[in-house]
Amino acid sequence: MPIIAYRNVLQGLTVGEAMRRQIIDLPQEASLEQAVRYSIKYKVNAILITGAAQAGLGVVSKTDLMGAYYAGLPIDTPCELVMMGPPLFCRAEETLDAALDAMRRHRVHRLYVRGDASRRAGGVLAYPDIVGILYRYCINCRKSIRLQSGAAPQPDRFRVREVMTPEIYALHAEDSLQTVMEGLAAHRFGAVLIRDGEGQPAGVVSKTDLIMAYKHGLPASAPARLVMNGPVQVVEKDEPLVDALKTMIFADVQRLFVYQGTPRNLVGILSLSDVARFRSGTCRACLISRIKLEGGP
Amino acid sequence: MGLTAREVMDTRFQTLSPENTVADAVRAFEQAGRDTGQTVFGMMVTDQAGKLAGMLSIYDILLLLRPKHIHIWGEMEDLEVAGILEEACRRTRPILVGDIMTTQVITITPDTHLLLIIDIMIKKHIRRLPVLENGEIVGIVYLSRVFKHLRELLSS
Repeated sequence: MPIIAYRNVLQGLTVGEAMRRQIIDLPQEASLEQAVRYSIKYKVNAILITGAAQAGLGVVSKTDLMGAYYAGLPIDTPCELVMMGPPLFCRAEETLDAALDAMRRHRVHRLYVRGDASRRAGGVLAYPDIVGILYRYCINCRKSIRLQSGAAPQPDRFRVREVMTPEIYALHAEDSLQTVMEGLAAHRFGAVLIRDGEGQPAGVVSKTDLIMAYKHGLPASAPARLVMNGPVQVVEKDEPLVDALKTMIFADVQRLFVYQGTPRNLVGILSLSDVARFRSGTCRACLISRIKLEGGP
Repeated sequence: MGLTAREVMDTRFQTLSPENTVADAVRAFEQAGRDTGQTVFGMMVTDQAGKLAGMLSIYDILLLLRPKHIHIWGEMEDLEVAGILEEACRRTRPILVGDIMTTQVITITPDTHLLLIIDIMIKKHIRRLPVLENGEIVGIVYLSRVFKHLRELLSS
């Protein structure tokens, strides 16, 4: 896609330019175990469930898989019993603005793009892809707050504290996975910090860890410490944002916990999508920039 | 023309175990390549009883290697990320074959017709098909071997 140096809104950009063509799908009779496998293997948050002639019937997301785990459904349950449907479609020629508006209206994080046949998908448009595009355009936008200060643009002078969300949601290592799932669902979070008996940060449990636990047959009554990932990836609050970004990239994670003074004293959370928006100078003047990434803090 | 899998399959093949690491698998690909004189991009995975458990291809390894959030930071052309490939490889090397292999494997029998083999390879986007007889692996059909047979038939 060409980079247009001057464009103050993303008007004119179409779904076709932003979508990915690779669709991860499974037939309706496929088991939840396969859905977990695909979600991990292809690193996607949702899988399209198809019926006859590959028509899209519904969607199974990591959240739905977590729900099935919570409800105690056997892992060999067919996807069609769990899927949410029908999937929402848009067309490749539609503007990105219109598609984002539809996503907001229906409170979904992705739209499937209608292929040639009526209910067959030819692509998928997901929020994370739009965050990347937003960066590409906003960093070149004349109305960017990055350029408004008058001085030459210096995207790397920012500090972590300017971008972090100054609150932490935490549970305890002995809390059950059920409790973790309830917490994630209630707050619409993608992951939760786990503290040990002394209240110190011990690890993180994400939706991905939960669906892996489901696949491995762990009971939902098991304590969080059995599936948490440790150590917690942290960054100091006064560190340059660019260093935090590199830590995220090298660890392949989308969030870091922010500490003050000592890594035991966590004061906030930093998400990759927020860093991308901040660094690009996204000013939120465009409707399209007001998006929130699934699984963010 | 009665050409079937029996005529185009390779009956000499190496396999991987689910307990092998990605590093082991890639070394096995290299060794098999030296033995056969062909570049090897995938292998069958067998369990302890020698039964087919899955397939591992270089594509499965690439999927694992690809950073999850590259669609965001990949746009940041002004960001210095020297060493990222080495780091991704370091993370990938110890992962077990059993955790990333494809388990929904399409198989054929020695009597499967060459045209049906071609049809499966086109429709399912696969380049190698294990050949099973009574549940036992007896060979593997590579797209390159199919090409070789067709080349002889088409050019004569």
